[in-house]
Order: sequence, then structure tokens, then C-alpha cells
Amino acid sequence: MPTTNELTDMPRKDLHIFYVLDTSGSMEGTKISALNHAMDETIEVLRTISKQNGDARLKIAVLSFNTGAEWITKNGPEYLEEHFEYEYLEAGGLTDMGAALDELNSKLSQHEFLGSMMGALMPVIIFMTDGYATDNYEEALDNIRQNRWFARGTKIGFALGEDADVKMISSIVGNSEAVIRVTDNELFRRLMRFVSVTSSMVRSRSSTADNAPTGAEILQQVEGIPEEAKVRLDKDDYNPEPKAQEEDDDWGDDKW
Amino acid sequence: MATLENGFHLRTEFHRDLTVNRLLGEGGQGEVYHVAYDGRPAALKWYKKDSLKNPAAFQENLRQNIMRGAPSREFLWPLDLTGWERGSFGYVMDLRPEGYYDITDFALCHVRFPSYKAVIDACLSIVSAFRILHNDGYSYQDLNDGNFFINPRNGKVLIGDNDNVAPDKTETGIVGKPRYMAPEIVLRKNMPDSLSDRFSMSVILYMLFCLNHPLEGQRYLVPALTPALEEKLYGSEALFMMDPDDRGNAPNPTVHGNSIKVWNCLPDYMRKIFLDAFSRKALEKPSARPSEAVWLNTLTRFRSEIVPCACGNEIFTQDGRPCRCEKCGQPARIPFRLQLSQYAIPAARGSRVYRCQLGICDAKDALNPVAMVVAKENRPDVLGIRNKSDRRWDAVTTKGEARKVAPEETIPLKDGIRFSAWGETIEILSNGPESAAP
Repeated sequence: MPTTNELTDMPRKDLHIFYVLDTSGSMEGTKISALNHAMDETIEVLRTISKQNGDARLKIAVLSFNTGAEWITKNGPEYLEEHFEYEYLEAGGLTDMGAALDELNSKLSQHEFLGSMMGALMPVIIFMTDGYATDNYEEALDNIRQNRWFARGTKIGFALGEDADVKMISSIVGNSEAVIRVTDNELFRRLMRFVSVTSSMVRSRSSTADNAPTGAEILQQVEGIPEEAKVRLDKDDYNPEPKAQEEDDDWGDDKW
Repeated sequence: MATLENGFHLRTEFHRDLTVNRLLGEGGQGEVYHVAYDGRPAALKWYKKDSLKNPAAFQENLRQNIMRGAPSREFLWPLDLTGWERGSFGYVMDLRPEGYYDITDFALCHVRFPSYKAVIDACLSIVSAFRILHNDGYSYQDLNDGNFFINPRNGKVLIGDNDNVAPDKTETGIVGKPRYMAPEIVLRKNMPDSLSDRFSMSVILYMLFCLNHPLEGQRYLVPALTPALEEKLYGSEALFMMDPDDRGNAPNPTVHGNSIKVWNCLPDYMRKIFLDAFSRKALEKPSARPSEAVWLNTLTRFRSEIVPCACGNEIFTQDGRPCRCEKCGQPARIPFRLQLSQYAIPAARGSRVYRCQLGICDAKDALNPVAMVVAKENRPDVLGIRNKSDRRWDAVTTKGEARKVAPEETIPLKDGIRFSAWGETIEILSNGPESAAP
């Protein structure tokens, strides 16, 4: 008989949390600082959650975009339980949301960022912007919507400040009810943490639901979102995500 | 974010004072606080607003559970209810004592059991508690890895989250946690009941032994586990990783080394009960799952057959016969065995016979030791068997004379002595002189 010391920890699936963060010039000042602090705190909480979570091991990937887009986690998503330090971002440049979507699209694949021995769960993707796109994001959005990881992932958006394009971010996450509009930096910091925590624990929750939760469903579970922060746009005012096609997923499916 | 601030005060339904001390933790459904309850430390579970489908019915069910009292001491049972405050309510229970850990702590190897005997003791506590609960006509309904607190030193178990306990098939609005729900619940063919509890319990038992989930074999390793595939994995196409007839979900040698190591060392009857619990028949047909009584019999037998070796290893003996330690090669010293009606167990120091090994018994008595092998004071090499029950045994000596053995009385281990209790006869048999050598 092996001794109880000879066994290794239980295999867990990877749950990736992607952050797509606007670091354009307009973020300069208190906003970028609030973002950095929000990320710092969020990562610490997620690290603890991952260590105690028997259902999934959390991995983080951060994409910063301004004039173009760049991965902060250059070597791909990193396990939070291992040594991962968030490096503070600096603001400057344009708001190339389209470039960010293209870059994200190129990495949402089992041959890129989502490959591992254990396999992945549907990712969580959190977007944050404070402005209007300076490039043609619509085409990039049409493309990334063909990506099954994106289409089935849990997507949530933050519109920070008065000047954020709420319609754009609603289109990207596919549902205006999955968007939070905040002008207060302190509230933003708190909600960023709550939203991240709630999304990361979805699998650990006794539920009444049958499906992976949408971003809108996650926000319903997050307490402390003030009414004025909730975005409720008319479907005609933005580009809602088309209803996902019913696909018959199979064990041998290699199209991921 | 804590809904209740430190110092928040209220009066409970049973007119006790309650003051919030601090937030202890947060789950999907609510928060848990450290509180002063009627002057003593306790825990308060506070539901998140809108987290319950039908809060009034849920609260009434809790009230009924409080009035009825805990089924057994393993349950960290609700003690009192609060009224409605700030759009929600909560219930009071005892705090988890020091030294108890979550199943996840064991699964992720933050904590380890010192021995398989301790693992078995924890499994026995879990099975026994659910047997008592189920016999009362109730089911737990949301059995998962977050409900148990286990003390690795002695295998003692406490069961928390008893707010969903309800009469079989009652709709509490909670159907369970992914990965732990029975296939018929995943497929929405049925509401949770004691038979779906049995499935979830078997998952926990397998996890405690093997540190793997029984249905998460090769198939679990797909690159993208979509909700549709999860429904197959845990529902429509559920397949035990050790199923001998279909290797489609077999363990992966790199990922599931734990299962491979442990499974190969488990005795036949332990493998059989896991195969029975996760056979395709039992996955589809809830009534085909082994009952708690069968689990108890199997686990007590397993516990009885483990003998410690001087090198620290645990030797799994078979039928109470002498064998060698596979680690250090030394023979295990097992001079005698105890022949029960179905099988024999080694009579080594510390060996126990439980009440449930002597035929059908009351659930509450199942794990009471009836007999225990002890060493003579100052003579560790001289073994005897002590009556640990509260009634006298009828014994027959080697010379065929009848005599009584009083509670706490010890009789020597001698070939041919028989004693009976609860209508079952146990015979002491020698394993031969060579097995007695130190």
C-alpha cells in the first residue's frame, strides 16, 4: 500500500481569467493608479481562492492595450498559486480596442494560451475601458465571435469614467447587462475584486442553474452594485451577441 | 463585502442575544460570521439577498430542523434562527473546532492523514452519519466537498451546511454542486433524495482514498470542458475510471497516478464496493447503489485487516493470515485471527470488532466496538481480547466449558476459544507457532 504521503494533489482543470485593460493616454492620473491597485488586490484574493479551490486551478493572463496591444503575461497565462507578480501599468497612447480583440483572438486556442495537460474550462474574460475605440473594432469583434472559447466564455465589461463608450463595451461582451459603468475609483476597485472573485468561484457553487453562467448572470450574483452602475441598453443601440449555436460537443473534438 | 458589520446586534427567534464579532468566510450562497450567541462563541450563516428561490419555505424548513435536533453528533446542526434583517436572515450553529480541515485541504495535500486507518475512520463517520440521517427519512441534498470538516489525527468528522436537509425529494431550490451531483440530478430526471446522496457520498469516499474524482478519468482531460461535455461526463455518459468493461475513461498514468497506486493495493471487497457504487447500472439506477449498511460492513472489515508494521507501514492482511510487509520485507506478527461468519480478521494489538460486523443492528450502534485486542499490562507480547460491549458474552473454552465474559473483562487469545454476542459466534484461531515469533 502506498503511504498517504506518497499521493499527490488531486488533478484540477485550469480556469483562465483574462484581463483586457485599457492603458490609453486618457487613463493617466488617478484612473491608471486605481486600475493598478484594483488588479493588485484582486490577484491577492484570487491567489488565496485558487489554493483553496478543489474544482479549478486559476490562471491569469493580462493584455494591455493602447496604441496596439501587448501581453503583460508574456509567456502565456500564469498559475496564481505560483510566483506571479503584477507589474504596474502605465498610461499613454490610443485606444486600439480592435488590436486588443485581434491579439486576444489569436491566443484563445489550445495551441496557444489554452493548452495544458489538464485541459481548460470556459474562460472568464474581463474588459475595461475608459474611452472610445480609435480603430475599427467591429471587424475584430466579428472575427473573435467565431472563436468558440470567446463565444462560450464568461464575459464582463467595465466602463470607467464619464467618457467610456458603453455601447462599444456592451457589444464586445455581448450584453449590456454584463457591463458595469463606474465613475468612482474606489467603487471600481471594489467591484473589480468582487466580479473577479464571483467569476472564479462559479464552479464551486451549489446551484440551480444548468449552464455556465453568462457575464450578466455573474453580475446578478455580485452584491453591492449600485443601480446607477448597471447598464441597460436597448438591444438596437448596440451589437448584442448572437445566440450561441447548439453544438454537439464530443470527446474527440479537436477544433479548440 | 460583509453584509453585517462587526458589533451588529439582534435577538434570535428563541430570544437569545446575538452580536457579530467578525466575518469568517464567504460562499456562493452566503457569509459566515463569528458571533457571540447567548454569551458564547458561535457561527452565524447569513444568506445573501436573493440567493434563495423561496426564502420563506427555506426558513420554515430550517425551523423544523432546529426543532427536531441533530440526527447524530457529527452534524453541526442549526441551533437558532434570526428574524428578517436588511432583506435577509441567517441561522446559528456551533463553530468548527480546532484541528478540523476541509476535504479540499486533503484533496490538495495541504493536510494529510497520518494513516489509512485514519482515512477509514473518517469514511466510517461519514457513512454512519448519513445512514442515521437517511433512516430518519431525510436527505442532505447538496452533498459536496465543502460540507465536511475532518480531523486527520483521529478521523473524526463534522458535517456542516445542514440548511438543505429536508424530507426526501423536497424542493429546497438547491440541487447540488457540479461534480458531486448524481447523474439523475445532472440530467434533471429527479430531485435530490437519499439515493442521490449515496452517489455523492461515494464520490467523497473515493476521493478520500484515491485523491481523484471517480468520474474524472481520461475523458476529463479534453482540451475544453464545455457545459455540454460536463453533462456527459457527470450525467448521460458517466463512466467510472476503473470500470473493467469500458476503459474509455481509464486513469491517465501521468495525471491519475494516485488512483492507479491505491487501486492496485485495495482488497478485492473494497474494489468491489467502488465498482458497485459506480457501475453503469448504479449510475443509471439509483436503487442499485450500495447502501450505507453495506459500506459500513465493508469499511469496518477493511479497518480490521490493516496491521501496523514496525517500519511504520500499514500492512493490508487478507483473511487474518500472516504475511510480509511489502515495504521492509519483515513478517507481520499475527499469531491469531478472529473468524467471523463471513471472513476472518487478524487479531493484532488494537484490532477491533464492531457491532455492525455481527449482523444487522441499529444505525446508532453500528460503530460501537464490541471486542478489542489488547496487550497484557507490562507484557506487550501477551495478547487478549476484551469485551468492549455492555453485555455479557457466552464463551466456550478450549476444553468445551461454557462461561460468561463480563463487559471490560479480557480473555486470552487461545486457539479454539469461541464467544458469541448478538447471536454471532467469533472463533479465535491460531495462525501457527511460526507466526508468533517476534
